[in-house]
Amino acid sequence: MTDFLINWIAGIPVTAAPYALAALGLIISERSGILNLSAEGLMLVGAMTGVASCIVLGGHPLIALVIAMVASSVVSLLFAMLTVVLRINQVIAGLAIVFFCQGLTGLIGNLAGWQNHPIAGLDKWTIGPLSEIPGIGKILFIQDPVVYLAIPIFYLVNRVLRFSMVGLNLRAVGENPAAADAAGVSVALYRIAAIVAGSALVGLAGAYISVVGVKLWFTGMVGGRGWIAVALVIFARWAPWPALGGALLFGCIEAVIPRIAAAGIRVPQYLMLMLPYLATIAVMVWAGATQRGGAGEPGALGQPHVREERR
Amino acid sequence: MVAPPLKARRLGRLTLELRQNLPAWKQAAFLTICLVFGIAVSVAILAAAGIAPATLFDEMIVETLGNADSLRAVLVQATPLILVGLGAGLAFRVGFWNLGIEGQMIWGGIGATAVVIYGIGPESLRLVCMGIAAGLGGLTWVLLAAWLKLSFRVNEIIATLLLNYVAAYFLFHLLYGAWQDPTTAFPQSVQYRSFERLPEIGFGVSSGLAIALAAVAVAFWLVQLSRAGFYMRFVSANPGMARVVGVPVAAVSIGAIAASGALAGLAGFVNVASQEGRLTQSFFDGYVFAGVLVAFLSRNDPIIAAVVGFLLAVLFVTGQTLQVFYQIPFTMVQLIQAIIVIAVASSEFLIRHRMRWTR
Repeated sequence: MTDFLINWIAGIPVTAAPYALAALGLIISERSGILNLSAEGLMLVGAMTGVASCIVLGGHPLIALVIAMVASSVVSLLFAMLTVVLRINQVIAGLAIVFFCQGLTGLIGNLAGWQNHPIAGLDKWTIGPLSEIPGIGKILFIQDPVVYLAIPIFYLVNRVLRFSMVGLNLRAVGENPAAADAAGVSVALYRIAAIVAGSALVGLAGAYISVVGVKLWFTGMVGGRGWIAVALVIFARWAPWPALGGALLFGCIEAVIPRIAAAGIRVPQYLMLMLPYLATIAVMVWAGATQRGGAGEPGALGQPHVREERR
Repeated sequence: MVAPPLKARRLGRLTLELRQNLPAWKQAAFLTICLVFGIAVSVAILAAAGIAPATLFDEMIVETLGNADSLRAVLVQATPLILVGLGAGLAFRVGFWNLGIEGQMIWGGIGATAVVIYGIGPESLRLVCMGIAAGLGGLTWVLLAAWLKLSFRVNEIIATLLLNYVAAYFLFHLLYGAWQDPTTAFPQSVQYRSFERLPEIGFGVSSGLAIALAAVAVAFWLVQLSRAGFYMRFVSANPGMARVVGVPVAAVSIGAIAASGALAGLAGFVNVASQEGRLTQSFFDGYVFAGVLVAFLSRNDPIIAAVVGFLLAVLFVTGQTLQVFYQIPFTMVQLIQAIIVIAVASSEFLIRHRMRWTR
């Protein structure tokens, strides 16, 4: 039983990291007032480029993760153009980008023969003698570098959003773009930068699933985690640390599914696989029942800004 | 050293003005320009993937539209696309983002197959029972999301999308379990008998198409001619005002949402009862975005939705041909759909804004 628990808890960071990184990326862009539904698609881009870089470079998983971040940012420029420059409906734009990425990754990945091509992936770091502490060692000190990096990234993003001038301007653009514009803050520039920076993290989340988690790429492998991340942002009221907490919760659920079957407990497999989605809906219901309307939501979320338009 | 004084920049800047009432022909011109651009990008991507434009033209126009068998396949494919397009459009009309079309199609298929497996109703009325069960299946699934939105303020975009995954896993649970075909042991239901499959209505076209066209007619009456259609426009334009002057806002919204789910359920029924003749693992794949695309391009108008559904079916059938004969992954069709939506959405920008260079 203790073995089961330790293995389960030690597996949580690997399943929680994609949710956490994607949600953090979404928080950055949504705080600038862009309703960002593109996460599922950009995670697919990250997942494919990550594995593709590993195959092409013959290893070097950390470089592959960086390439995946860059690729995801580049694709997000299209989303930024649609929402910030052309000011089209942000829901339509997000959905179109998701489908664009599904089509693009399916096409390129299959034509290039990257589907189901196993890679070595990223190894876990064993932190010296600390990893030999019974129980805790395996949970805290045998994890991969991205998990260790995630904590400082969260700390940094939180600091920047809350206390720096850049973060203040970003939030002003998201709360009231007309006022920010009048104060001399470039709304378009901040929004584009927020989308691109956030999408790098979303791409990292996607690449983490393929390069670190599954060590393989197949079409549509993100499997709705991007949508769960969007829900997580609403649940966390657009704040980084609660999003990390929510990600750990979903990580818990996702990590327990294969382990229950492996432990020999007979449960209907496909009904178990519903759990993350049902849990997300449950969390949304809980959030809707307990939060005051729109608490924490950026004031201009989903609204395009046209300086010449009267409101 | 003193820096030279900065010269005033004479470049000027780009400003946007909102346009009012652009003439219809100019709107059509902008739309056409953007569509042509989107199609050109799609053709270029296909060319990069190894399909020469001449081959593409040959496969898409000559083979797909000029050949009776392919044209029949197009009409069969158009049926569910028209139904989901109508369904998505009805929900969008009352401001409800129904992205749960796949889940509602799955429940439609499950409802129809349950009627088959449990032998509900006499044989002569079996298809009617299947259709009703499918509609109710889709309707129930969308009302679940509507209930979550109205009672708990759960965003319907997220709720409907996530419920797609729940429905798909429930379908797999049935197909890999209780409903698995015992004779083949494939993860699909037993084959329907002849009276459980949609009959043909001349030219080898399934009666599913008649269902879809009837649905277009009913939807046209509903949104253009009936009082409910007028209410729907009122609710989407200004719900607060509608409530004050006594429009039954909740009833109109829920009615449109329910009809949207029922139409998606019917699309699932048409797919299992005409194309496949059994419940399969993939009869619903890719219909969420197809529904959004048809509704978006038709601006939620039922008649135009039928036309767009037919054109999209041409794309789907061509995509299947390219997959079989040229090994182009079917995801190409998704990519082209996305490019066309992006192109048309961009035309809205040109229609609504005038760009001016001011100095």
